[in-house]
Amino acid sequence: MPGTEFSIEQEEIDSQIRIIHVNGFLDAHTFQNLDDVIMNVFREGIYKIGINLENVNYISSAGAGVFIGTHGPAKESGGDLILINPMESVIRVFELLGITQLFTIVKSIDEAVAHFR
Amino acid sequence: MPEDMKRRLVIPNDTKYLNTVRDFVVEVVANSAFPKIDMGRIVLAVDEAVTNIIEHAYSHKREGEVDIQLELQANATKFEAFIHDSGIHFNPTEISNPNMEHHVATGKKKGLGIFLMRQIMDIVEYEFEEGVVNRLRLVKYVNPEDKDKDPHKKKSD
Repeated sequence: MPGTEFSIEQEEIDSQIRIIHVNGFLDAHTFQNLDDVIMNVFREGIYKIGINLENVNYISSAGAGVFIGTHGPAKESGGDLILINPMESVIRVFELLGITQLFTIVKSIDEAVAHFR
Repeated sequence: MPEDMKRRLVIPNDTKYLNTVRDFVVEVVANSAFPKIDMGRIVLAVDEAVTNIIEHAYSHKREGEVDIQLELQANATKFEAFIHDSGIHFNPTEISNPNMEHHVATGKKKGLGIFLMRQIMDIVEYEFEEGVVNRLRLVKYVNPEDKDKDPHKKKSD
């Protein structure tokens, strides 16, 4: 079945930091799920969010739009939305859109946690 | 199979078939002369084109109610896609490129697909017969300079 590989899991680091693990394709079919999860984390009052992209092998503009749309609110609330270990193919889409410089990109969850602390 | 043979795929207007579309593009481009980096870009461009049709041409229809037809071919010099739908006329070539700074400042999540499609493909052409069919043609050349030799090329390209 198309699109069934997609899944999202959350990892609570502490009361202020949340890691969101994304698996599969981040496209026009799946992006809303991730957007909903991030908006719910905001509603919990958590704005330090790391998105683990190491298992995302494809992203389209719909997926990138989630990060564009949530990055600003996270920053404005004293946090950040950072990307963890994205594949080259995902970074290339950010480059095509000209938004690579917008995001802090780190190699590991430990690095993401250190960035927030 | 002759390398110039057109391959055809028909999908319902439902984003859950985007994965099927992407696999189909990979199959077609795999036999061409494009490097892997271009293959990924072509897959992305076709995904964005089909997504745009589902979101705009068929915004008034329920998911899965109508079909989108793709005809793809790739050879030693180019990749060419014809995408047909019968939805609302929506011409992506008339849409301005987004102001990315404004996009980011306002947190706008949509409206980047057409920009990406145009960034990637050498030719993006659109024509329609009102209420009958919309045709989108996407072309990418292995050597971008070959764009000028395109037999269907419009003066505005």
